[in-house]
Amino acid sequence: MIECPRETDVFEAIAFGRLTDASEPELTAHAASCPVCRDLVTVARALHEDREAACREAHPPTAGMVWWRATIRARAEAARTAMQPITVLQGIAGACVAGATAALATIAWRSADATSRISDLFSYVAFERGALTSGFGFEHALMVLVGLAACLVLAPLALYITLADD
Amino acid sequence: MRDVTFAALGRLDAGAAVAEDTFQMDEDAFRVFYDRTARPVWAYLSRMTGDARLADDLLQEAYYRFLRARVTHESDSHRKNYLFRIATNLVRDEHRRPRVVSAPIGEDDAGDHADPRSADVAAAAVRRMDLGRAMTQLKPRERDLLWLAYAHGSSHQEIADTLGLKRSSIKLLLFRARRRLAAIIREAGR
Repeated sequence: MIECPRETDVFEAIAFGRLTDASEPELTAHAASCPVCRDLVTVARALHEDREAACREAHPPTAGMVWWRATIRARAEAARTAMQPITVLQGIAGACVAGATAALATIAWRSADATSRISDLFSYVAFERGALTSGFGFEHALMVLVGLAACLVLAPLALYITLADD
Repeated sequence: MRDVTFAALGRLDAGAAVAEDTFQMDEDAFRVFYDRTARPVWAYLSRMTGDARLADDLLQEAYYRFLRARVTHESDSHRKNYLFRIATNLVRDEHRRPRVVSAPIGEDDAGDHADPRSADVAAAAVRRMDLGRAMTQLKPRERDLLWLAYAHGSSHQEIADTLGLKRSSIKLLLFRARRRLAAIIREAGR
């Protein structure tokens, strides 16, 4: 890396628009002859000019507008954060309902199976005794199924009423 | 879609107070800071991305992140460097994202603003276009370095803080980037 002790002077002269034959003849002559300062002049002058033009062209929104948008966004984020515990609670409630439904379904299935065996026994006994009681098992299973369906409809409704806004 | 209820509005109002408390400065202080920094930051973003409209979006995002940041600043200069650091990170994220390439800064804008009667204005517009093309041939880090050093006038320490580099490496990186850009500009001028 080649260095020049006058780099800082040259850069300052460019930044303040003083690097001309009229204001800094000696520094300008040096910048023209030194390879390091020549690169510096080419790059720094181009970038400085570009920045000045870009700043003139820039039409940034007003401070009030930026502040307002930031406030709105912060509000939305705060609201989202505040809603998070409710979302978690809803998830837990949903999992509980699913679990309870599965448990009820299993119980109903087993109950139907057991009652059908019992009803078979009753039918057999009834047949032996001459009475007709074979419809007992089917009716019992039907009641359990109706109860289960009611739970499936009512549970989400109850959850909604509990957790929904006023 | 669910209707907004009074309870939700109440929560939003409460949230607003919380949100305004989370900003690191009040509105008056922000206005002063913004008025002083918005144009240089916009110029930096537009040159680094090469897209004026994208620069508008990134400007808003940069100030939002700046306001939300829980950082104590030792001085105004530190605060400004921190803002430029956010802007640099946003530009880096943009470079990683696949996007549609739009017209480089200066090509259409310079044409609109240039007065054809003025040779100086036309020459300046051509130089800006050349610079724009030359900058696209550099690596993003080289562009950042050169802009911060020569357009923004940041010190080596400030550049190191902004770009997350070691102060000792800035001089060499800057020298190489400068030599490269100078060569490209001279080549384009022939």
